[in-house]
Amino acid sequence: MLALQLLLNGIVTGCALGVVAVSFALVYATTKIFHVAHAGVYTLGGYVAWSLAVRGVPDPLALVLAMAVCTALGALIQHQLYGRLERRGATHLGILIASLGALAVIQNLIAAVYSANILQFPSAWASRTFGFGGLRLSAAQIATLVISLIAVAAVLWFARATILGKRIRAVASNPFLAEITRLEPRTVHVYVVAIASAVVCLPGVLVPFDLGLQPYGGITPLLTATIAMIAGGIGSLGGAFVLSVVIVVLQNLSLLVMPGEWSIGVTFFIFVIFMLFRPRGLFANA
Amino acid sequence: MDFFASYVVLAEIYVLLALSTNLLVGVVGIFSVSQAAVFGVGAYIVSDFLLTDTMGFLPATAIAIVACVVLNILTTLPSLRVAGDYFVVTSFGIQLLATAGFTNWTEGTGGANGLPGIPPAELFGFQLATTLQYLELSTIAAVLGCLCFWLVMRAPFGRLLRAIREDELAVAAAGKGVLHAKVSAAALAGAYAGVAGGLYATFMSFIDPSSFDLDASILLLSMVVLGGMRTLSGSIIGPFLLLALPQVLTLVALPTSVAAAFRQLIYGVLLIAFMLFRPQGLAGERL
Amino acid sequence: MSYLAVAGVAVNFGGLQALTDTSFMVEQGRITCLVGPNGAGKTTIFNVVTGFLRPAAGSVTFQGQPLVGLRPQAIVRAGIARTFQNLRLFVDLTALDNVVIALPAQFAEEPLGAIFRPLHTARMQARRREEARAVLAQVGLAERANEVVRNLSYGEQKLLTVARVLATGAELLLLDEPASGLAAGALDRVMALLRTLQDSGKTLLVVEHNTRVVQKIADEVLFLHQGQLLAQGAPDRIIADPKLAEIYFGGAL
Repeated sequence: MLALQLLLNGIVTGCALGVVAVSFALVYATTKIFHVAHAGVYTLGGYVAWSLAVRGVPDPLALVLAMAVCTALGALIQHQLYGRLERRGATHLGILIASLGALAVIQNLIAAVYSANILQFPSAWASRTFGFGGLRLSAAQIATLVISLIAVAAVLWFARATILGKRIRAVASNPFLAEITRLEPRTVHVYVVAIASAVVCLPGVLVPFDLGLQPYGGITPLLTATIAMIAGGIGSLGGAFVLSVVIVVLQNLSLLVMPGEWSIGVTFFIFVIFMLFRPRGLFANA
Repeated sequence: MDFFASYVVLAEIYVLLALSTNLLVGVVGIFSVSQAAVFGVGAYIVSDFLLTDTMGFLPATAIAIVACVVLNILTTLPSLRVAGDYFVVTSFGIQLLATAGFTNWTEGTGGANGLPGIPPAELFGFQLATTLQYLELSTIAAVLGCLCFWLVMRAPFGRLLRAIREDELAVAAAGKGVLHAKVSAAALAGAYAGVAGGLYATFMSFIDPSSFDLDASILLLSMVVLGGMRTLSGSIIGPFLLLALPQVLTLVALPTSVAAAFRQLIYGVLLIAFMLFRPQGLAGERL
Repeated sequence: MSYLAVAGVAVNFGGLQALTDTSFMVEQGRITCLVGPNGAGKTTIFNVVTGFLRPAAGSVTFQGQPLVGLRPQAIVRAGIARTFQNLRLFVDLTALDNVVIALPAQFAEEPLGAIFRPLHTARMQARRREEARAVLAQVGLAERANEVVRNLSYGEQKLLTVARVLATGAELLLLDEPASGLAAGALDRVMALLRTLQDSGKTLLVVEHNTRVVQKIADEVLFLHQGQLLAQGAPDRIIADPKLAEIYFGGAL
């Protein structure tokens, strides 16, 4: 029974992390930037929603407003930081270092304002639990599961079917061609990071309903998400999502045999296995 | 006086760490946020040997160096073998894993409480009891470290590393092994971290995971970026400036809970500002 | 035994056949030119011979030694060195350093030698610099030795790529379009240089588009089309062949 409950918890958290992975993969596939500051956007979303919620703003509205803030932050990072660096001919390493700097700034601003202690949402509905034949899910978990699945479906549909999605894929596959055919890759990149930031805000707000908020809480999800992206195959958004669920489920099941402090080891072990045996990922495009 | 001396000792230890990070990030061009983890392994190994009285400072440091060399090669190996940004993940992963290890493996590391009462270093029967005596040791270590870096960078090995950073295929076409050179650089970086670990543990006489976490790695990266990539002077300027920062911040009288976050915030701002406006750092080469 | 023998080499990129069952030989001491329309597989052959690309099938032997599976640096040591179409010089290093780096078996190419025998390192370095200067003089760049490469003219950079392969000590030199993009004066310098290299005992395999250059320097021409060797022979015969001219100038477009 415990195993089943852990499995279920793993699926819920895995779906939420899947949203992180899909949004990260969207940015990475398009801009080729390893956007580590994404973890900061994820964390900030939770804190914005929390600040609104404790002031009596209804949770759904707080979520939407947090998404708006994250969208703006994402656009700002791409437009003012990455975009500028690229125009100045910065190296890949240089952009990566700047991204790490942005992550440090966001996290520590949060820590300076809210302190490093864990914060809990005041909402009563979130902790109501429902039983399913011996298994239990909290309302927050159910909301996380449903909204994450919808978000991933929306992103996949968006990338496949919409005109902007097609432009994004065109820019991703050949930035030079996109440049001369006036698809304006720079503008597209700003859109992509903005959209990905709005999307990553969803798990950024929903997961803390269950587990609480911490200023430095974005790094481990980011690590798991990037491992899922690599294991799923760079360029495959669906693969990133599936592997997120698999990894988090394995992480949760590992609790049966070892203490939770070591679950980062489980994640990393999965990464090493993939590096050794299937470095291009499960669903990589040829 | 003692206060200033201990600042210099720490800065000199961090010069070794900055050189280690500079070799990887600046010279070879591998993104790394796990040098603090390697440093920590060195520090814990020396502490454990000294606390259990298994052996003296020199042999313990020698073992720490070997361990750090091996660890650094292992952690950088993925970046040498596969292309792409996989090494970013490896580096973050190793750092988080190391922090988990330092915090949770209580028998070896004292866990979050750390290891107190590490005896001071003893060289050839002579105990380094005072800060000023330590200053002599750390100065010798830092000068030797800088000398080695200088010798290596002006030797054919240094030229090879510069060429590798520019164009690996062309290096192979010139008949040189890229992998071998990178592994050598990683090994040298590991050796620096091992020495620094031994010096740090015995000088502080207390270590805990907070000195070797992701924030510490970001500090090391900031030192190299601020000072300047790929140059010796950069790796000396960076640590001396950034370790003075906490002293300056005490003048602002922030509450201690905020002070740590504020310090890291400044490192983040420095990383961004230097990448945007002066990527070569104060004394570095074009990135 | 032939000097360099390429036999039945096939290379696929995804579904695309870059080379299909390509075989040819290169004789020692001669200048052999590889010609053919764009995408014929000329550079792919270079990549296979120099170990940058592993063929799906076939073999490459150099003086009887099989090369397939060796790493690029091992092939350089075996005596084959190449240039690149897009030069691939180390543009932030000096011209001299670009040459020094290619000299084989140097002392202190690893950290321990540099740290523990600094004086020996310095002495050996001084000697290597002299060797490199001699190589630079061979291609006529002696005066530009201490210039950073990005400040050299395009023609000088092309000459420097030749100096770099010479420095490796290789006997067989693979030159990828050594004459393209050069003005008349520089072109003559390069052609004269190739002749001198041949006279000094080197064997040259050259990819070249300019038929006038091919006619002037080549002893033997290999005509490649769509990944296959279509014809082989003396330059006049190949260039005069109307069918090949059709492929080269018309058919492929």
